[in-house]
Amino acid sequence: MTRPADAVPRSGVAAVQPAALQRLAAGLAVEASAALVRRGSSALTFMEVCGTHTMAIARFGLRDLLPPEVRLVSGPGCPVCVTAMGDLDKAIALARLPEVTLTTFGDLMRVPASRSSLAAERAAGADVRVVYSPRDAVEIAAGESDRQVVFAGIGFETTAPTVAAALLEAQAHGLRNFSVLSMHKTMPPPLEALLDLGETDIGGFVLPGHVSVVTGSACYEFLAREYGVGGVIAGFEAYDVLDALLRLARQTETAIEIEYGRAVRPEGNLVAQRLMAQVFEPRDADWRGLGVITGSGLGLREEYAPFDAERRFDVDAGEPLEPTGCRCGEVLRGVLDPAECALFGARCTPEDPVGACMVSSEGACAARYRFRGIDD
Amino acid sequence: MCLALPMRITAIDGQLAIIVAEGLEQRASLVLVPDARIGDYVLVHAGYAISVIDEDEADETYALLAELAEAAAWEDSRDRRHETGGTFDRGGSQEDA
Amino acid sequence: MTEAGKRDEAAGPGAAGATPGGRILLGHGSGGKLYRDLVRDVFVRAFANPLLERLDDAVALVPSGRIAFTTDSHVVQPLIFPGGDIGRLSVAGTVNDLATAAARPLALAAAFIIEEGFAVDELEAICASMAATAAEAGVEIVTGDTKVVERGACDGVYITTTGVGEIVVAHDLGAETVREGDAVVLSGGVGDHAVAVLAARGDFHFSADVRSDCAPLWGLVEAAIEAVRGISPTGSASGSPAAAESASGDSAEALRFLRDPTRGGLTTVLAELAEEAKLGIELEEAAIPVSPAVRSVCDLLGYDPLTLANEGKMVLVVAPEPADAVVAALRAHPLGRDAAQVGVVTAAHPGRVALRTVYGTRRVLDMPVGELLPRIC
Repeated sequence: MTRPADAVPRSGVAAVQPAALQRLAAGLAVEASAALVRRGSSALTFMEVCGTHTMAIARFGLRDLLPPEVRLVSGPGCPVCVTAMGDLDKAIALARLPEVTLTTFGDLMRVPASRSSLAAERAAGADVRVVYSPRDAVEIAAGESDRQVVFAGIGFETTAPTVAAALLEAQAHGLRNFSVLSMHKTMPPPLEALLDLGETDIGGFVLPGHVSVVTGSACYEFLAREYGVGGVIAGFEAYDVLDALLRLARQTETAIEIEYGRAVRPEGNLVAQRLMAQVFEPRDADWRGLGVITGSGLGLREEYAPFDAERRFDVDAGEPLEPTGCRCGEVLRGVLDPAECALFGARCTPEDPVGACMVSSEGACAARYRFRGIDD
Repeated sequence: MCLALPMRITAIDGQLAIIVAEGLEQRASLVLVPDARIGDYVLVHAGYAISVIDEDEADETYALLAELAEAAAWEDSRDRRHETGGTFDRGGSQEDA
Repeated sequence: MTEAGKRDEAAGPGAAGATPGGRILLGHGSGGKLYRDLVRDVFVRAFANPLLERLDDAVALVPSGRIAFTTDSHVVQPLIFPGGDIGRLSVAGTVNDLATAAARPLALAAAFIIEEGFAVDELEAICASMAATAAEAGVEIVTGDTKVVERGACDGVYITTTGVGEIVVAHDLGAETVREGDAVVLSGGVGDHAVAVLAARGDFHFSADVRSDCAPLWGLVEAAIEAVRGISPTGSASGSPAAAESASGDSAEALRFLRDPTRGGLTTVLAELAEEAKLGIELEEAAIPVSPAVRSVCDLLGYDPLTLANEGKMVLVVAPEPADAVVAALRAHPLGRDAAQVGVVTAAHPGRVALRTVYGTRRVLDMPVGELLPRIC
């Protein structure tokens, strides 16, 4: 069977996938049993650390296909969920400035901050606009020179290069009214922090496919080398995830593998890495649930100070307030199943979320919510 | 992480490309994939192409899926034959090695 | 004479219709001569029917049997989009609401709130579209109202339509009649309207091969009702269908429930139905038609096609016996070519909708929350 000229393997290839998936699931069951014997354990816990994987697993109902010995937990891979309250409050404080047009990805609009949300601020009269691309924010700045356009930069290494590129474009056009509030973070550091915490016996990581498009695979080698934990860089179709789990179970020597070869090169995207390094530098960042992790955040370099919203605007965001009873942190570390949180499904629902894990459609709690109640 | 869609480049104008998926047309910046050419499939995230899809790898993945699907279909029909005890049942010789 | 009146006089006689390219003034809403000119030159000219031409404050109708009554307000940006405009939307929307009660549209009313400065020829185009849509549905706009608000106080034009219809079945449709085993039928592909409007708004800079499906669906629903009757025993062949039904017992009772999946999409209609009926619904993802362009846009922006708005689709819940005939009847109609049975009502998981994915796995479908927002994650 040859690939139709226009088809790149994606969820549209439904005819091939269901049968193939059953086969992969069967293969996973076989490998998992063998792995348990080898490792002398009773269950395999794999952690995915990418919000888009959380979402894909929920959307495709993949948990239905996992053998009972394989446990799949969500880690801190949702950039919205791991954004600290204080950072969200800063974005809101900026949005309240009358001269500011706060541009943001849609993901951030409904996230509850200490006292408000961007959606609530917009309803109260703030100029908050949802954009699909940071380029759109630059375009707004170019077209409305009387507005101070601030872009709320969230996302990991997939997104940071796009923000870097947009910033350079703004600079090239001599724009004086564009700036970025960088809340960007990088992926490998929290994996190290998680393993250091040692709260869960993680048998392997399903590694983020699109972050890895940029970073390549070398940055994860330390997981295998220093912690004896393997990882497979996975794509986002149902078969990608199952194949990655199968490969993880099959590993006799822990290693970092690339399942998503059609998009990920071992060296990553060097141009994107260069742009990121040109505009950003590592700094400490506060991760919800994990606390401050050294060198895990991205801040704008000194020479781009005019484009740094934190340096340009003097805002008092107030003291960050964590909502009472919210256990997002434990969920993000993979130690608490969302259903075990007292607020889950009762006080905290997608319509009325308390924490970010429920409001973000790819937060572990929101994704878990979709599974409640339907039993076979 | 992050939503990205494979789309095909149909035109390039400087650093901007016209990209298409089925029924959809958009512009994206190629600044992160300067070697991309017309006809390439690229992964598009937040208005930027971040990777050129490796067609050989894509072919391999597709072939693997097809193989798996065929194997599953064969197994299905084998299981059904055993159930019905039909004329194709030759006992152990048809089992997986 | 008021200040506004003096200004209006200065604009010249027949300011509305006599000067194409003219603009709506505050005076057009004040009930005086300008108002009468606008009504006559734009609305009466477009909607052209004897009842409206009387320009009475109220219209006398002679319905037969039970009537259905509904109203809907329409605010959409942009006002014109591929496949439709606010005018078509306002007529189709109310006709379709009546159709969900199995009611043939009898008469429509249209109330306009127009922003000062709105172009008269744009208004004329909207009214022409309303008239054409009404003609498709076999109904007329027989009365209406117009108000004009200051520049900036509304977004161009808002239209509220109200409709009266004659119910052609003897029984009440509704969630309470739905039973285990009933078939869930969808009249065609989902997501077209929402994506067409989103593309037309231009916020996310994409173009898609999609047109709004905005259309009046009474003819389609009527075909479904006839298909249901065709499978069920009928009584006397004379008189109105409703009379025949009440004479013989209700031959259309197999038609349980109708709803058009507008804002909130298919998911919202079915989630609400499951809750009200206290039954479960099993949906087959593979059976739900979604056009490739809608799927691409959803993949790009992170939307779920099942939660997107439609303006020319109907969800029908029917007893299992006539289900195939209903699907065939819908497919034979131009507006139902892609109709399909997409699910079944079940006693399992009452109050919940379960989707069987193309992979054979299952997940719960929840109503979407809040406004539709694109994602990058």
